[in-house]
Amino acid sequence: MNFLEARRVVSSFAGGPPLPLQFALSGTGEPFELYLRAAAAARGRAAQVRFLPFNTLAQALRREPDSAVTEVFLLLPWDFAPETDWRSGVPEVVDAEQVRVRATETAGLLARRGSARLLYLPAALPPVLPDPARNEAQALWLQSLAVELGARTLPPEAFSLGGYLASGCPVGGSWIGRVAEAAVDAALTPRPEPKKVLVTDLDNVVWDGVLAEDGLDGIACEPAGRGVRHFVYQSFLRRLQREGTLLAAVSRNDPEVALAAFRSGRLLLQEPDFVAILASYHAKSAQIRELAERLNLAPDAFVFVDDNPVELAEVALALPAVSCVAFPQHDDDLAPFLRALAGLFPHRTITTEDRARTDLYRRRLAGLVPSELQGADLTRFLEGLRMTLTIHDRTRGDRARAVQLIDKTNQFNLNGRRYTDADIAKILDAGGRLFGVTLSDRTGSHGEILACLIGADGVVQALVMSCRVFQRRVEYAFLAWLGAQPNPPRSLAWAGTARNAPLREFLSEVAGPLNGDGVVPLDATGLAARYAADLGLFAVSAA
Amino acid sequence: MNRNTDRLTNGPPMPAEVEAKLAAIVRAALELPSEMDVTGAEQAAIGTWDSLAHVSLMLALESEFGIPIDVADQVRLTSYRAIRDFLAERR
Repeated sequence: MNFLEARRVVSSFAGGPPLPLQFALSGTGEPFELYLRAAAAARGRAAQVRFLPFNTLAQALRREPDSAVTEVFLLLPWDFAPETDWRSGVPEVVDAEQVRVRATETAGLLARRGSARLLYLPAALPPVLPDPARNEAQALWLQSLAVELGARTLPPEAFSLGGYLASGCPVGGSWIGRVAEAAVDAALTPRPEPKKVLVTDLDNVVWDGVLAEDGLDGIACEPAGRGVRHFVYQSFLRRLQREGTLLAAVSRNDPEVALAAFRSGRLLLQEPDFVAILASYHAKSAQIRELAERLNLAPDAFVFVDDNPVELAEVALALPAVSCVAFPQHDDDLAPFLRALAGLFPHRTITTEDRARTDLYRRRLAGLVPSELQGADLTRFLEGLRMTLTIHDRTRGDRARAVQLIDKTNQFNLNGRRYTDADIAKILDAGGRLFGVTLSDRTGSHGEILACLIGADGVVQALVMSCRVFQRRVEYAFLAWLGAQPNPPRSLAWAGTARNAPLREFLSEVAGPLNGDGVVPLDATGLAARYAADLGLFAVSAA
Repeated sequence: MNRNTDRLTNGPPMPAEVEAKLAAIVRAALELPSEMDVTGAEQAAIGTWDSLAHVSLMLALESEFGIPIDVADQVRLTSYRAIRDFLAERR
């Protein structure tokens, strides 16, 4: 959008929902305002734009973000490596190692701003290193830092050295409208939550051929010949599974026929790699819906892969929250297909629980509480599970899983607030406490399924629990245990979110009706007595 | 009037529609009234033509005419006439 058009769009805009935006760059941001407002108006939104004072990006990164605005960073190489800033000229000497240390530190600060949107402008660098090849490598490395942070890379020609040197505005007039549109698009696009379950069709997807027609000998999925595309797909699914993605198969087949393929030893994927292999002649959407209920996961956590457009359309229509992806018909389409799938399952860190997730969910299915059980029957069922709670004081030592739980849990989450490891370290250093809870039962270990962060002031700042273990009264038992400890918490920092209804229900039951967001008082001693029977369902140990 | 010649500046020729577009850009970037004659405008005499407005004006010119403007040129383009002549030469 050029200047006069941007003026026209803004002046004719009738208004729309506000879009509070912090457009953060180390140079001069103000010239972007018109174009940002125009780009937002063209998308029906009224941009309320804020800028950083000139050359204060580094300081801003060290401040807490304002959660009321969406931060969009326009990053340049010298935001990571100030030695490469054209405005400083070419330095006499550059310590490449020092550049890397500082750049990595800046990347760490950006990584902490989990909800920030990042754009990276790979501007040409001045020749700061004596060897041009090293200089080029330095530029690529700085770009890779940004890409690793999830930044969208802009075309290098959007950088205007003249404009930057003249006014500090790094984007020229020919590009400013397009960069503003990229910034507004980034602000309006929610950061996607990683999906949890990949449901795959079998025939002509996991293998080439139709099992029921071609027989076991007629299908192909070897790393050579006509099955190679399917071999690569299987190997990718295997990697996803090892990283914590749940795999499920859904096929219009007889169950024995589908399972025979996995038991033949010819497939890279084995039966235990799947949390469920569903083979029936019911609609695939019905099978996925039932699986979602049994796993206690929302449909938006699911991705469905099929080669048949009719099946894809059927699932998309019945379950619009499920992401449907077509298996490629040609080898050349395999790379974009796998890239798209990988983008739906990003994993920055992989914990022990991630690696064991399929087993954990298989146990969940095995120990699922039948929905018709109530009262004494339910108690008898839970007692029969022979459950053990191990409570870990995570205030010191390894807390990776507890941090991950706090960062990823949506449904049973006290307030939806996300904490980085550094945020939690700060609370703990100030006298806070962090607990992690592991559950096991007669079917095996369910891993660390609950985390609780308590501030030095006795206010519970985070309470999260994996949805895998709903209905087992773990949350009641934990509160009863916590209430009986010396120095129990006195309140909880509650906030409703679009997805934490299970926590709202639980809190209403244990603390009484909720009046909006805020601190909810907790009668810890009373809770210990009230939920003693729930605690009695578990053998409890402290580690 | 010769449609391709600017009679006020006697500088290089510029089509009338380009001249009109330039005037519209200058008015818009400097927040001047839509009917104001800007052909004699100079930075020193226009209160709204501050350094930030100058940056916006230079970007607007780059945006509308698709040309990059070097630092040295940005520094001297402080009047309508200078801008007009610069554009006429660059076209």
